[in-house]
Amino acid sequence: MSGIVIEGVQKSFGVTTVLRGVSLAVAQGEFLSLVGPSGCGKTTLLRIIAGLEAVSAGAVRIAGRDVTALRAADRDVAMVFQNYALYPHLTVRQNIAVPLVMRRLKAAERIPVVGGLLPGVAAKRREISTDVVAAAQMLGVGALLERKPAQLSGGQRQRVALGRAIVRHPRAFLMDEPLSNLDAALRVTTRSEIVALHRRVGASTVYVTHDQSEAMTMSDRVAVMMDGLILQVGTPEEIYTNPQDIRVAAFIGSPSINTLAAEIGADGDVMVGGIASGLGASVRGPTTLAIRPENIMLADTGIAARIEHLEYLGESLLLHARVLASHELVICRLSPERRRQVARGETIHLRPDPSRAFLFDSEGRRLAAHARTRELAHG
Amino acid sequence: MQDRSLINDLPRLALLSLAAFVVLAPYIWMVAVSVKPQDEVFKASLSLIPQKWALIENYGKVLKTIPIWTYIVNGLIVCFGILFFQILFAVPAAYALAKLNFRGRELIFGFVMLGLLVPYQTTALPLYLGIHQLGLLNSYTALIAPFTCSVFAIFLFRQFFRAIPDDLINAARIDGMGEFSIVWRVIVPNALPAATAFAIFSVVAHWNDLFWPLIVIQKGNLYTPAMGILAFRSVEAGEDYGALMAAALLVTAPLVLAFLFAQRRFIEGITMTGLKG
Amino acid sequence: MSGTRSLGGRRMRSDAGIAWLLTLPAILAYLAMILLPLLAVLALAFTDYEFGARGFRWIGLANFADMLSDRTFAASIRNTVVYCLFVAPLSIGIALALAVLIEAGARGRAFYRAVFFLPVVSLTVAMATAWQYLLHPSIGPVNALLRMVGAGTPNWLGSSDWVIVSLGFIGVWENVGFNLVLFLAGLTAIPRELYAASEIDGARSGWSKFWLVTWPMLGPTMLFVIIITMTRSIRVFDTVQTLTQGGPNNASEVLLRTIYQEGFHYFKFGYSAAITLVFLVIVLGLMLVQTRLIDRRVHYG
Repeated sequence: MSGIVIEGVQKSFGVTTVLRGVSLAVAQGEFLSLVGPSGCGKTTLLRIIAGLEAVSAGAVRIAGRDVTALRAADRDVAMVFQNYALYPHLTVRQNIAVPLVMRRLKAAERIPVVGGLLPGVAAKRREISTDVVAAAQMLGVGALLERKPAQLSGGQRQRVALGRAIVRHPRAFLMDEPLSNLDAALRVTTRSEIVALHRRVGASTVYVTHDQSEAMTMSDRVAVMMDGLILQVGTPEEIYTNPQDIRVAAFIGSPSINTLAAEIGADGDVMVGGIASGLGASVRGPTTLAIRPENIMLADTGIAARIEHLEYLGESLLLHARVLASHELVICRLSPERRRQVARGETIHLRPDPSRAFLFDSEGRRLAAHARTRELAHG
Repeated sequence: MQDRSLINDLPRLALLSLAAFVVLAPYIWMVAVSVKPQDEVFKASLSLIPQKWALIENYGKVLKTIPIWTYIVNGLIVCFGILFFQILFAVPAAYALAKLNFRGRELIFGFVMLGLLVPYQTTALPLYLGIHQLGLLNSYTALIAPFTCSVFAIFLFRQFFRAIPDDLINAARIDGMGEFSIVWRVIVPNALPAATAFAIFSVVAHWNDLFWPLIVIQKGNLYTPAMGILAFRSVEAGEDYGALMAAALLVTAPLVLAFLFAQRRFIEGITMTGLKG
Repeated sequence: MSGTRSLGGRRMRSDAGIAWLLTLPAILAYLAMILLPLLAVLALAFTDYEFGARGFRWIGLANFADMLSDRTFAASIRNTVVYCLFVAPLSIGIALALAVLIEAGARGRAFYRAVFFLPVVSLTVAMATAWQYLLHPSIGPVNALLRMVGAGTPNWLGSSDWVIVSLGFIGVWENVGFNLVLFLAGLTAIPRELYAASEIDGARSGWSKFWLVTWPMLGPTMLFVIIITMTRSIRVFDTVQTLTQGGPNNASEVLLRTIYQEGFHYFKFGYSAAITLVFLVIVLGLMLVQTRLIDRRVHYG
């Protein structure tokens, strides 16, 4: 059993190419998030895994079985949709029961009244009913079973949609931005509930979101997608502390990572605005130095910048400063006590922590770099 | 505007009531004359209440002279037969046009739009020839078959189905439904408002239709209500107004009563489908 | 669903297959009941085919040439046009006036709407019979009333001067309710703030508010209602067939009845088909204008 495997999947709609060869392996029982800006192809990839969209090239395997040519109904996957997609004409009980009824009862057995007379149907129906109640109770909607979707709050609909997905113990669990229609407070509590639910159910899960904080907090691993490609797959920590592409670095983290134009001098020193950054590299030419807000320190010497704006967040202080030489905007996260030591309009000196700075070439690819001991002594 | 006093509102109500009286006049006299004996009818008075009631004679005469229940049953069979096939054919087609991608979809929809422009009376001559060739004149088939493909139903349902979210259909596919199950288990239950509206439109149109039954039906036992009245008029030479009004009232009543019970639905149904008239 | 089926591109192909399967019954019925008969009418119009005859000849435009000298056809066209020009403006104007009156207050809304709509759901043949009694020259209440006030008492349905007016009046009676409901829908769609704004801008009377706000905002509805009423009234048949059979002396002969008469009474299918084409062209002209207008309406929204 090997979860979900995607091999070289390509997808075009007419002349527009949405996926340009995507490969990905989701381990059995793993929770993997597909994250990226809208239009990056993540939802299309999810729909391809579900069987709602056919691939232009490539293959999809679920639990070791090639399902590329199978329709959704035959893939044994469950999906939670952004707008929940509950059947408006059915009660909560009936909604959750649909996947079981469609799978456990034959067509003739599903006919109202008459079907119930066939041998064995009553027993099957009882079984279904037990499973439905169990799923509903697991999600705390046991009291709402006779309501119609229109009579439920957004959070309750969400739970019913989850119930419909878990009730039949699918091989794979697919979620398409399931939290985006909830209000902020509910979104945060539901996040942890979904994670807890995933631990109990244990099915391989692919979770699509455009919200990087959702992806970071919920997943075992995160796949960052852009322009129809997966740029990087890794644990949230790897993605955050070791981005392999400047677009990954920029997409993950809030506030965004700072980028500064840099030049590598003849001796291998990475220079920002003519000042040695403390980073060394072995290539030459123009590069970009990226540094997260919490990894910049204020010092007596360094990159000169003027403070434009201060944001006090309670647990930290965000300092927005404009680099004097290049007019680039830099955000630093400082400890909140520094609030009284800085003021808008002042000129300060910024010093990135060279061991936590990333260097990217002009194409956005990560370059090998190392901290120079000479500079470390200063820091 | 809501708080206008009754006195201030009177001119408005008076005007509306006058118009309402003109609209209701034929109904009022239809009821009144249907219980009047013939000599009172010929007195040409404006009085509505008969001096001598002739309810039993007039209605009795109708029931004795023409099989009016047969006509009404024929009307019901034809209307619901037509409706049954219209829905059976239109719903799956409309679903495919609204929600499935396939080669030829635009072409089919183009033909649907073309069909919308053609009044059914246009095709009467060839249809008559065809039905005659098949030996089907004077049959329910002749009354029902020409109307089984309602392009209007396809158009209406397509518009309605397009508003159903794609993800609902995707959810059904993931839950294990095939396309046929989706049509009848997901789409139809959610399209009930459109289906009701169309049903009312269709039944009203075909209950009231005279043109086509007049062409294909000659045998009295297959007359529709509209034809029944015509036949009764010619039998009676059109002068026994008491009985004539009784017959008119009997065949008008089913739809009018249904309308009074479900006004809102009727008005929505007929005006929503008013595109076709 | 076992799930262990043979694979290989089955999905894509079967999707199109299912779509065609779903549309097949409708396509077959469409071909048999609409498209083929339509083409057949087109062909018939250029033949001298008579029902029951062994064969037919292609006679080109002869049927259309015959129409030019056919006095019944001429009367039919003239009467249909007069009927439409009588019914459309009156049923639209009265419907608009009534809709504005209904909309102006809260009392009796549902009641009046239902009353005015009643003729739309009533069996036309039966109601025509009721009108025949009301309009009866000697025993009808209408003439009884006219006698009481000392006015003349025309033979409404029996004189060639009055027959089209009488039928037109019944047509107005039939159509007002339909138009009224369309206007009511149009009126409720007008934002209340516009009336408030017009008041602030100095429109004091209901009359000036009507011309400043209601009338222009009803524009799209109005165009729609005009076309709908025209296409409905050009198809007048039931009342004529019931009450006058085109008489007296062709004074109430109308297009659909001429088609019916030529085709199913005289069995001149070729000629009837030619008149059908004329009828179709007129309806298509109206309908095409309508679809244009509907398109425009959609763009408005």
